Amino acid sequence: MSSTSMSSTPMSRTDGAVPILAARGLSKAHGETRALRGASVELYAGEILAVTGASGSGKSTLLHCLAGMVRPDEGSVVYAGQRLDRLPEARLSELRRTEFGVVFQFGQLIPELTALDNTSLPLLLAGASRKAAHEQAGEWLERFGVRGQEGLRPGEMSGGQAQRVALARALVTGPKVVFADEPTGALDSLASEQVMTALAHTARETGTAVLLITHDAQVAAYADREVWLRDGAVSADAVALEATR
Amino acid sequence: MTRDLELAWLLTRGSDRREWWRVTLTAVGAALATGLGYAAVAVASVDGQVSTPYFHGLLNQPGQRAGVIVALLLLWVPVLGFLGQCARIGAVHRDRRLAGLRLAGATPGQVRRIAALESGLACLLGASVAAVFCALLMLNVLQQGFPPRAWAGFALVTCAVPLLAVLVSVVALRRVVASPLGWVRRVRPGHGRAATLALVVPAVLVGLGALLVVVRGTGPGTTAFPLLVFCAVALTGAGAVAVTGLTARAVGRRLAARTGSPAVLLAAERLRADPWATARTHATVLLVTVVGVGFLGVRQMLLDAVHQPPEGLPYDPEDLAFYTTGIDLVGAAVLVALLISLGGLAAGTAESLATRRRGLAAQAAAGVPRKVLGRALLLETALPLIPAMLLAGAGGTAVHVVHGTFVDPPVFPVLLPLLFPVLAYAACLLAAATSLPLLRRTVRPAELRFT
Repeated sequence: MSSTSMSSTPMSRTDGAVPILAARGLSKAHGETRALRGASVELYAGEILAVTGASGSGKSTLLHCLAGMVRPDEGSVVYAGQRLDRLPEARLSELRRTEFGVVFQFGQLIPELTALDNTSLPLLLAGASRKAAHEQAGEWLERFGVRGQEGLRPGEMSGGQAQRVALARALVTGPKVVFADEPTGALDSLASEQVMTALAHTARETGTAVLLITHDAQVAAYADREVWLRDGAVSADAVALEATR
Repeated sequence: MTRDLELAWLLTRGSDRREWWRVTLTAVGAALATGLGYAAVAVASVDGQVSTPYFHGLLNQPGQRAGVIVALLLLWVPVLGFLGQCARIGAVHRDRRLAGLRLAGATPGQVRRIAALESGLACLLGASVAAVFCALLMLNVLQQGFPPRAWAGFALVTCAVPLLAVLVSVVALRRVVASPLGWVRRVRPGHGRAATLALVVPAVLVGLGALLVVVRGTGPGTTAFPLLVFCAVALTGAGAVAVTGLTARAVGRRLAARTGSPAVLLAAERLRADPWATARTHATVLLVTVVGVGFLGVRQMLLDAVHQPPEGLPYDPEDLAFYTTGIDLVGAAVLVALLISLGGLAAGTAESLATRRRGLAAQAAAGVPRKVLGRALLLETALPLIPAMLLAGAGGTAVHVVHGTFVDPPVFPVLLPLLFPVLAYAACLLAAATSLPLLRRTVRPAELRFT
């Protein structure tokens, strides 16, 4: 576990499965700071992959690149056979609306909209009628145990409730991949457990792949596989961690 | 588009108190613009020479009516400036909301349309209220019949104001990229000299054109003259933004390097960091000051000429009232324009505070006295306004001095016109000071708890 060598090869499974999302040699600089240095990672359909690492190791930047929110300076991100880093913005938006779901630590819900409208938003943007969107969103809110809170706005909810609404919004379109960046970072341990249980249970039930960014070992324990990021690259330690799991 | 409209309505309906301030003030601005448009259409719908009981016969002659229409349309300039300031209220909040939409899968185009429609809805509200009020006024109070083309004009104004707001929003957001991770503004590298030249050169050309029209003796009854004046004022306004921005940056840079006072240092650094925010806030006031100084000089010459005609007998009281009413109406229009501009400045200062509330709360928590923060806030307005007001005073003086050379004998009133920038400066400080109570609330350390 003390190895400091860096790997530019993807952290992959050995069963010959084809990844749904694969990043190779990602580099990204924010001004003078190099957030990613040749990071490579693979995500398989239906798995929960935890990306862990210290603060400033490039975890969030990796997620932003993988979700098509930030274009890497170097390297490639391939999702279902298409290069995300080369797709136009409109197509990336469509992917976020239909095939990706995103959950952050906080702040992703729109303060002006109720829990029901927030959850319905991706469906409304995709052209669904408001009635149909509300029906579908209501089912997801029920699934996450926040039925009855439909009329509340984010400012009126607890952190745990807001995060469960955010999860419902991320999953309402039936995405193939959910990106979760420290989804329990602002929650107490009980709320954290509720949110992670709901996420893991739903992901396994629906076969959704989850890329989970966390620095919390208890949260990472919900994952099927774990990779470590150190100084912007996937550390060789990750292989050892995977082997021991 | 229907879905975008539905989302814009949902977002507007769910807005918090600050957003409702923006909606209300934007609606007020739109109502003002609609009212001015209606008045211009009503005056324009009158044909030939008539006899009206209003304003001592000022609306009787077609040529004078054209002047009134130009004055009414020119009042749109401060109203648009006011609307621009209103649009910035809650900008941080709005940016976060739009980023949230992008995260949920909205395209950049969709987000721009939704933001533009939000402004359009507020303007539609204001325009509709103004339309109802004006219709009641015309039918019940004035009891004036209007030809069908006037009603068509009213309808056009009612539709045009929200449409204009939507178009302005789309243009304003064209350089803005909404990112799912937050709102990113593209920095334009050539925001300095090139931008200034792009604004100042056309303004100078239009100014020279206007001067040519005046010198060649084309009267105010023609179509070209009012149009030229309108364009000149609009372009001078755009030029004023560039000049004020450059002045703010220069003042900030020099003072930040030399001052020993904490309040001046805070204000100077703020000016240096974002000189264009100051420029946007002060541009309309600067423009109104140019017009005000020029008007006061010309007014004094006209009043002298009316009260003591150089040739012939003095005017009879009816004629005297005709001339003085016209001059007073223009004065009232300038005053209204100044008040609207000051409203915009107050709104801009309050918004600037709301945007920086966490930083200000952090400074207060770190021990910076509130008095220092208050002084810094006032200095942010006071410092760049000194050179700007000098510039405006010089510009306005040039206007009435040029006019004075055509009078026989040439006259150059100085004292009264130059009081205008001083009074406008004091009024600006008062407008900025209206935000001090908000500062007191903003710097509570509890603000640090909220994101």
